[in-house]
Amino acid sequence: MPWSLLSVELAVCAWILIMLAADLVVPAARKSALWMLALAGVAVCAGLLARQVPAGPASFQQIFLVDGFSRYFKGLFLLTAAVVIVMTRGVPGSSIANAGAFYMLLFTALLGMLVLASINDLLMLFLGLELLSFSLYIMAAYLKTDPRSVEAGMKYLILGSVSTGFLVYGIALLYGFVGGTGFDAIRLALTTEPAPLTAQAGLLLILAGLGFKIAAVPFQMWVPDVYEGAPTPVVALLSVGSKMAGVVAMLRVLYGACAPLADLWTGVLAMLSAATLLYGNLAAIPQTNIKRLLGYSSIGHAGYLLMGLSTGLLQGMTAVGYYLLAYLFSNLTVFLVVATASEALGGEALDDYKGLSKRSGLLAAAMFVGLLSLAGVPPLAGFVGKLLVLLSSVDANTLWLAAIGAVNVAISLYYYLMVVKRMYLDAPADAAPLRVPALTKATLLFLVLGIFAVGIVQEPFLRQIAKAVGG
Amino acid sequence: MLPSALPLVILLAPAAGALILCLIREDRYALIRRIAVAATTLPLLGALYAIGTYDTAAGGYQHSLFVPWIGSLGIGFHLGVDGISAVLVLLHALCAFTGVLISYAIKQRVKEYYIFYLTLITGVFGVFLSLDLFFFYFFYEMAVIPMYPLIGVWGSDVKEQGVVRFSKEYAAMKLTIYLTLGAVVALIGLLWLYVRSGADTFDLVSLQAHLAQRPLAPWLQQAIFPLLAVGFGVIAPMWPLHSWSPIGHAAAPSAVSMLHAGVLMKLGSYAILRLAMGLLPAGAELWMPCLAAICVMNIVYGGFVAMAQRDLKLIIGYSSSSHMGYVLLGIACLTPLALNGAVLLMFAHGLMTALAFALVGHIYDETHTRHLPDLGGLAHQVPFIAVCGVIAAMASSGLPGFANFVAELLVFIGGWDRYPVQVICGVFGVVITAVYMLRLVRGTFFGPSKPVFAHVRDATTPFARLPYVVLIAALLFVGCWPKRILEIIDTSSRPLVERMRFQAPDSQLVEQPLPTQPAGVN
Repeated sequence: MPWSLLSVELAVCAWILIMLAADLVVPAARKSALWMLALAGVAVCAGLLARQVPAGPASFQQIFLVDGFSRYFKGLFLLTAAVVIVMTRGVPGSSIANAGAFYMLLFTALLGMLVLASINDLLMLFLGLELLSFSLYIMAAYLKTDPRSVEAGMKYLILGSVSTGFLVYGIALLYGFVGGTGFDAIRLALTTEPAPLTAQAGLLLILAGLGFKIAAVPFQMWVPDVYEGAPTPVVALLSVGSKMAGVVAMLRVLYGACAPLADLWTGVLAMLSAATLLYGNLAAIPQTNIKRLLGYSSIGHAGYLLMGLSTGLLQGMTAVGYYLLAYLFSNLTVFLVVATASEALGGEALDDYKGLSKRSGLLAAAMFVGLLSLAGVPPLAGFVGKLLVLLSSVDANTLWLAAIGAVNVAISLYYYLMVVKRMYLDAPADAAPLRVPALTKATLLFLVLGIFAVGIVQEPFLRQIAKAVGG
Repeated sequence: MLPSALPLVILLAPAAGALILCLIREDRYALIRRIAVAATTLPLLGALYAIGTYDTAAGGYQHSLFVPWIGSLGIGFHLGVDGISAVLVLLHALCAFTGVLISYAIKQRVKEYYIFYLTLITGVFGVFLSLDLFFFYFFYEMAVIPMYPLIGVWGSDVKEQGVVRFSKEYAAMKLTIYLTLGAVVALIGLLWLYVRSGADTFDLVSLQAHLAQRPLAPWLQQAIFPLLAVGFGVIAPMWPLHSWSPIGHAAAPSAVSMLHAGVLMKLGSYAILRLAMGLLPAGAELWMPCLAAICVMNIVYGGFVAMAQRDLKLIIGYSSSSHMGYVLLGIACLTPLALNGAVLLMFAHGLMTALAFALVGHIYDETHTRHLPDLGGLAHQVPFIAVCGVIAAMASSGLPGFANFVAELLVFIGGWDRYPVQVICGVFGVVITAVYMLRLVRGTFFGPSKPVFAHVRDATTPFARLPYVVLIAALLFVGCWPKRILEIIDTSSRPLVERMRFQAPDSQLVEQPLPTQPAGVN
């Protein structure tokens, strides 16, 4: 059995145990150094990922697929995890940075995401999704003394369980038609005979379950409260890692297994995309808390991702791959700034960001670049992502959807600029300069350079993604 | 043709300047300003060289440079100038150079100011130099966004008798959102055009060649044209989408108003003539009469509103949107003569309005008011500024000797055959201009000297006078000897109009029988 296909996942499993052991062995006073161990674990996984042979697709027992696609997204997941680990250091005074258990949960979440990138079976989908979700339920409620955090965890748990119910029911219905859970079997069954209503309903229920993960309307209710209450590094993981994992799973299920049903799901996703775009961006406008604002903005971005997915074209997949890359860099930049600044600023209200540019030029500039990239302004990464998604939508002849997407660029620019306004135009309440740790500085610089690189030199990334989605 | 580094130098000098500024300590004001001056002098020299060496016999795109960028989508980093863009690059280089000199008045957060200012300059150069739709849009958006912090941080509220009419935050946000909305509407048009052309290329030259062979179906052209015309028309600024513009001008610091009114507004008309008209002849044929009608509203309505204003910057702001009506009218005529006039007017109006905003900026910095009734008799204290003001008013009213006269005359003559009514209204607009400009000059500079302004200083040093002198010299030079610049413009505008006649089979413009085309070409 080619166990080497599972090398990255096995390494993550090992690190889950190592973090658990470290939590028990390392004395409390030294626990603040555990992040280094966690970062080393991510580095080991990255090394193993790089060593995976870039040959054609290979599968483990027909249920676990290793190909260019999985390698690309696993790379992004590892990068996200690394930045989140750096972020945990920016939350002083909380129990997060000192807890090996937190990092252990981070690794179980990472395992779930990695599995989702390789699924070739509905049961693996369920397994990966639950691994990811359960870790996040606990992490969201990690600040045990903060009622908002506990509320966030509870809310996420309850709504998440409901969505899992949808997912399982959908899997059962699809299984009833196909007689198997493997993606190859599903594709074969759907090509040979017309899908009955129950199978179609099964697919839609699976989409509902995944829609919860990526925060698509109408499964977005949990987002603002959970974003507001959960610790910032967890929110970053939710909004980047978990959303990316949901999209990757959708790509696998829709383009891999259910391609013959494209007529059904392209239409549904197009409608969901339009609703998600409008809801996320319009509801973001009146927000007064930076994390709630970013929550609604992440709903808006789910709309663009759905737009790319709804094309049913290879270009759409490429566009989504690029969009996720851009989204990762931009959103992690913003969350890293929020995690670093909110303690010193005394809160997470938007008005706390007044005059940030005078207190820390670096934080304000990074936030400026990150937000404008989210809005899709050239020469930043988000611009290219949005352009590719809109182009693929026009290509798929859904001009109305592309038009809605385009208008939402302007809407989103408004609320992002309102944050910029506070940082640059308004006077600070307290002009004392902020101190930024060197590691955070370096990470921010790396992310900002990444935003520019992805925005200006598109060809190498695009070729990589095209190779990944091409097979 | 050999690849030329010239457009790259013009484009990258301000970008490099902005990058270098990021690395410099913020209290080294003198060094920061010197870098900004250097970063705009180089493009000015480049633009003069491009104009000087433009080969009118050969025509077409010259000094071009092509680097493949995204192969799979047919996107290339393609730069170059033709007769039209060469003139506009020179205009922008002049405005940017003088703008940096005028920006010496900026005293707070100097480093950040110049970083945003140079980014804005880079974006505008990029639009004029790009021969690729992707990069055209890329630079277009890049030019819009820096306006927000530039107005928001360094601008001033528009006040009337102490009461704030528009805050600078409001003006900045309104401008950014309007322009971005316009840009995304145009983007949808461009993407639609790209997908339906079947050429799989964003390259303007290849796309034009492809569409000459296989034009889009007329209905499609007619559907895409308004997207581009309205989308880019927002920045032009086309009535009734112009309302962001005067308050944006008024709230911006003077150097930004100079670029904004002088050059940014020309991006819209340039995009309309280059993309909407150049790529969609059948669409242009259908929609140009509408555009011509809108222009009249621009000219007359803008003029009347300018007459009613009392804030100096608002007067010039509305006058700009009024004068851009002539430019759009020249484009709408679809004749080489009027198009030449339109391009020359972009050049002339850009210089004139930059001059006017620089003057108003000086007056505001010295007197701390722009309210016309508060001013008066300033010719006693600032004779040099007053002389420049009179010159700007004369240029704005289109007096012979200034480039504006030549340009407006060409638009009127070239448009007479096609839109006589609109032209008559346009000529009437010249009278309106004369009224508000003369009133502005009289109210600001003439009359008895006011004691409150006794401390007001003139621009006395040669360095302080340089920007005004450069702008006036350029206006007079082109006004007295328009031959060379018109020849350059003509090499590009004539083929543009002729290609239209050839491409639009049912064109009313066709005077001689067309070569017979097989049915079903479309």
